Amino acid sequence: MSAENDQHPRDKQAGRRDFLKQSSAMMALALTPPLVIKAAAHDEAIAGIFEKMPVNMEINGKKMQLSVEPRTTLLDLLREQLALTGTKKGCDHGQCGACTVHVNGRRINSCLTLAVMQEGNQVTTIEGIANGDQLHPVQEAFIKHDGFQCGYCTPGQIMSAVACIREGHAGSPEQIREFMSGNICRCGAYDNIVNAIVDVKSGGKTV
Amino acid sequence: MKKQQTGQSMDRVDGRLKVTGGARYFADHQPDGLLYAALVCSPVSSGTIKSVNATLALRAPGVVDVVSHLNAPRVPAYQESKPGAKDGLKIFKDDRIYSNGQPVAIVVANTLERAVYAASLVEVQYNQETHYTDMNASMDKAFQNSRMKDYVRGEAGAWEKAAVTHTAQYTIPLEVHNPMELAGIIAHWTTPDTLTLYAKTQGVKSVQETIQDLFKIPEQNITVHSQFVGGGFGMALRIWPLEVATILAAKKIRKPVKLVITRDQMFTLVGYRPNATQQLSIGATAEGKLTGITHEAVAITSPYEDFTEGIVAMSKFMYACPNVNTKYQLVPLNMSTPVWMRGPGEATGSFALESAIDELAHKLKMDPLQLRVINHADVDPEKNLPFSSKYLKEAYEIGAEKIGWTNRNPVPRSREEDGMLVGYGMSSGTFGAYRGKATVSATLKADGSLVLQSAASDIGPGTATAMVQIAADVTGIAPEKIKFMLGESSYPFAPEQGGSSTVSTVGSAVSDACKALQQQLATIAISNIPAFKTAAPETIIYEDGQLLTANRQEKISYEALLQQQQLPEVKVMTTSQGGPERKKYSMYSFSVHFAKVHVHPATGVVRIKHIVSVADAGTIVNAKTARSQMIGGVVGGIGMALTEEAILDHRFGRFVNNNFADYHVAVNADTPPTDVYFINKKDPYINPMGSKGMGEIALIGFAAAVANAVFNATGKRVRDLPITPDKVLETTA
Amino acid sequence: MNQFSYVRPANLKAAIDAVAKDKSARFIAGGTNLLDLMKSGVVTSEKLVDINRLPLKDIQLSEGALHIGALVLNSDLAAHDLVKTQHPLLSQALLAGASQQLRNMATVGGNMMQRTRCTYFYDTTMPCNKRAPNSGCGAIGGINRMHAIFGASDSCIAVHPSDMCVALAALDAMVLVTGPKGSRRIPFTDFHRLPGNTPQLDNNLGKGELITAVEIPSNHFTKNIYYLKVRDRASYAFALVSVAVALDIRDGVIHEARLAMGGVAHKPWRLPEAEKALAGKAPTAENFRIAAGIATQSAKAYKHNMFKPALALNSIQTALQKAASV
Repeated sequence: MSAENDQHPRDKQAGRRDFLKQSSAMMALALTPPLVIKAAAHDEAIAGIFEKMPVNMEINGKKMQLSVEPRTTLLDLLREQLALTGTKKGCDHGQCGACTVHVNGRRINSCLTLAVMQEGNQVTTIEGIANGDQLHPVQEAFIKHDGFQCGYCTPGQIMSAVACIREGHAGSPEQIREFMSGNICRCGAYDNIVNAIVDVKSGGKTV
Repeated sequence: MKKQQTGQSMDRVDGRLKVTGGARYFADHQPDGLLYAALVCSPVSSGTIKSVNATLALRAPGVVDVVSHLNAPRVPAYQESKPGAKDGLKIFKDDRIYSNGQPVAIVVANTLERAVYAASLVEVQYNQETHYTDMNASMDKAFQNSRMKDYVRGEAGAWEKAAVTHTAQYTIPLEVHNPMELAGIIAHWTTPDTLTLYAKTQGVKSVQETIQDLFKIPEQNITVHSQFVGGGFGMALRIWPLEVATILAAKKIRKPVKLVITRDQMFTLVGYRPNATQQLSIGATAEGKLTGITHEAVAITSPYEDFTEGIVAMSKFMYACPNVNTKYQLVPLNMSTPVWMRGPGEATGSFALESAIDELAHKLKMDPLQLRVINHADVDPEKNLPFSSKYLKEAYEIGAEKIGWTNRNPVPRSREEDGMLVGYGMSSGTFGAYRGKATVSATLKADGSLVLQSAASDIGPGTATAMVQIAADVTGIAPEKIKFMLGESSYPFAPEQGGSSTVSTVGSAVSDACKALQQQLATIAISNIPAFKTAAPETIIYEDGQLLTANRQEKISYEALLQQQQLPEVKVMTTSQGGPERKKYSMYSFSVHFAKVHVHPATGVVRIKHIVSVADAGTIVNAKTARSQMIGGVVGGIGMALTEEAILDHRFGRFVNNNFADYHVAVNADTPPTDVYFINKKDPYINPMGSKGMGEIALIGFAAAVANAVFNATGKRVRDLPITPDKVLETTA
Repeated sequence: MNQFSYVRPANLKAAIDAVAKDKSARFIAGGTNLLDLMKSGVVTSEKLVDINRLPLKDIQLSEGALHIGALVLNSDLAAHDLVKTQHPLLSQALLAGASQQLRNMATVGGNMMQRTRCTYFYDTTMPCNKRAPNSGCGAIGGINRMHAIFGASDSCIAVHPSDMCVALAALDAMVLVTGPKGSRRIPFTDFHRLPGNTPQLDNNLGKGELITAVEIPSNHFTKNIYYLKVRDRASYAFALVSVAVALDIRDGVIHEARLAMGGVAHKPWRLPEAEKALAGKAPTAENFRIAAGIATQSAKAYKHNMFKPALALNSIQTALQKAASV
């Protein structure tokens, strides 16, 4: 929310490398004894380590102490560092919903938030909603109503559907269609997804 | 007899994996030592690369290499290509830029973030040349190749002499497949001539074959894994330069390298449905008998490949019309190569033909459904052959009844509901019912379970589920004891999943393999079981997972047979393909789409309120997944009709809406309740199941149904898709 | 994205200091637009100052005005009882924007700070005076179907993409900001700027100034309100045009009218002349037609958005009718 002072990024490229060195050194400064900083400025491998920050979060009920670069998104952290590959990347710009996870109970696009911003938060992914071997009612309903074809958007759809019901936005098929519109399904399983949500909602199971 | 499995609404066999996040798509694999790649793509549309300066990128933390035409490993096949041959883009071969977004370098680093950032540090300079991306401004370049000969039946241009005529130009914009899964690949050379790939593909064997041809290494040295594919719609029917680029980088680095491209790169690197302009001219007697159709189409292609598809195909045989002529031309532009997109050319062509039929009906003051019925082609007028099966008239009747066609007032703009103009429209679609060649191995285990393997793909329709149902019906083995394995190049050959042919092709091979397996079991029984010794092989009855003698007095279950004979398993391998029946009959699937729309006249907003789609696709193997496939095609059709258009700024040759916020794929709120009906009558000739294809007809024709409904609602005829509010809105001038 | 440092200041002052003292530092709240822009290479920042933990999340009535903290999430705001009952127009506008996932991330302040969706701004290979001053405007001679019809200049015809801001403009909201030099209040309609020859500036915030809250004065617009959003698909799309209407109708007469549009200008576009024309009049189709005509008089279209003046005209009438008939 700052004032506008954008520069054309191409103007800055020549200076970027120097900046990178400075910036990793500055980061290191905040975190480490002076002796290491010298090394950081000269050694790329060490510089890499000091570009990372500690972050604690609870993922699918498990407390985790992690170390990530500030620029790493929650999505890339889950997929590439924690091997929680159920959460999918469909656009990386908040325009498709494939990366939907819950943070502190709310559905969000994990591609548009930094992992470091989740300090102290509870994150739930598709891998975390079943109760052991017992599928979540929404998962069961998606199978029963064939709420997918290729399955790629499905984890995001299911996370969104669970939240949609919990939020109280599953009151009618029309409301479901509107509040599920942040999850694109190119195979076009929308009608079945709506039926699955209606089924769960009317079934009265705790979601 | 056990319950017939074919036709049941069985849940998907891989449903649990898909709802738990356990299904692993190519990018979900993480081999040890995995490196990440990002592409550097050309911002110019034509020219040559002057220089590539990777110094900054190479100095950035974690960067392993930057590979371009300057330092890429040699591709043996590139040397075989003759100059000027239109045999595809040879990535990193030379400095030539053919289209905007063409990859010019690939950066490999030890983390995703580092690779992506380092790609922005590669400095490439270009010699820019004049580019051409506007088809309308490049019509002088239009040409025909040998695959696109002019067609004439009867007299060319006969429509003009008819009592009632209609001629108009119909255009469709460039559309992009945009499966939810981003394209890419993981490539790992485990030895200098052994390659493992995790790919996004509609055909693992075709990937293997392409790589074999490119790198001249033995087939068995190339392993392709592709068990789950996050949608394809045609874009994964071939290997693209981005995959070759990754394979080249991996070859140089000798470690596993993963590339996942970005959404904007999905517009320039993995094909598209080419924009096309069609002149459709049609004439009929005053009574509505068609006397002439002329269909002329022009579509775009790349400079280095001629992409052709069936744009004018449907016009040749859909209606009983004595005089038909077609022309199809290509305009090469500074664009990447198109590729079949769901419904392919027939979806493009049907928009023109089925809109024109509606326009002609209006001029004839005739119900468009009636016009279609009286011109129904009882035999294929193009091939002059009987149809193997055709229930189009039944489909018309069902659709008309279910949508409430009698509510349609033929006078446009005559009906309102809640301040919205109401319109009804219909159309039909057709697509060839194919059957290719496939091999399936069937292994019966001593526990009575059956394992089937074939290098087929599943991009979403539910291939394994259908195959299990087919195998269950042939063998009588319970579906839960049958496993169908696909998506591995080490399995027996199956073709790409495309052209609505997987059930027909692979399902036939499953059926034949299961029968061969049973015959093998009979042979074992006759040789070893006293009660079967005297039985002639052809008299053995197979029922419910058992062998029975002709008099039904003696029987043995498959499981018991293997256990008695102490056989761990019995395995057969069967290759199956169509026979002479394909020369005797014309084989097509048919669909009928009905749509009811609401149009808000002041804002031009069109909302589809109800859809009825009816498919004549032969036997339905799985009623649940078949319905899903139909509604999915319809949703694709909604996008084609109302929202999808990739727009270029021709000054730069670049797309201006290459993302999911601005390229509008239909969302949940765009879709109304959709009723799907199947004729579900067996085609007696096409294959053992009697199943024709469905993936394409689900979409083909749909856009015209919407355009026709919008006309009925408003009196406005939109002939250039998509039907966005600005084209419909009424001004009170 | 380039590598950057990340800090999470403990209080407002530290946050403002962190941005005021560092040329390329930026505040980050929801991140839905900033990270999108950083991934696209449109924005490069060397330091992100995470303000999400600052105590700017309250919604409360204060001396009749509704005080909304800058970090209130769009979804919470839309669902809040005080908003639904006292300023339902705002709730409607919020729910017309983005998706529930994005509304769960996006904040009030961030929504106001979002940049244009103009493709030439987003594509760093194209000319854009907003992104790279003096590089030219790609849109004027290019594809401009989504672009402005009011208040544009020869250097920029981009539009502000927000729905929420259109409602806040109509409701005469006040923006509360705090910066290195202290706090001030900016009328909402003066917060965003027209492009003029400085299209790189979206708004009138100074360096280091942070939006802390928005206040909506009490009003009588609880019943006859409507937010109409015309877009290319039914949901999850930016507006071709949008119209926020609030009418205070008493005894068959429009006591006061508020009209604002989205998708038509570089800022949320208030229509004061049309409002004046409606005041004291009966809510009739004819009066709505006259007001819409006045509202769109100064519209200027470009090659691909020639439809917009007519669409705007029709949309204003439609929205007025919807609001009046509730």
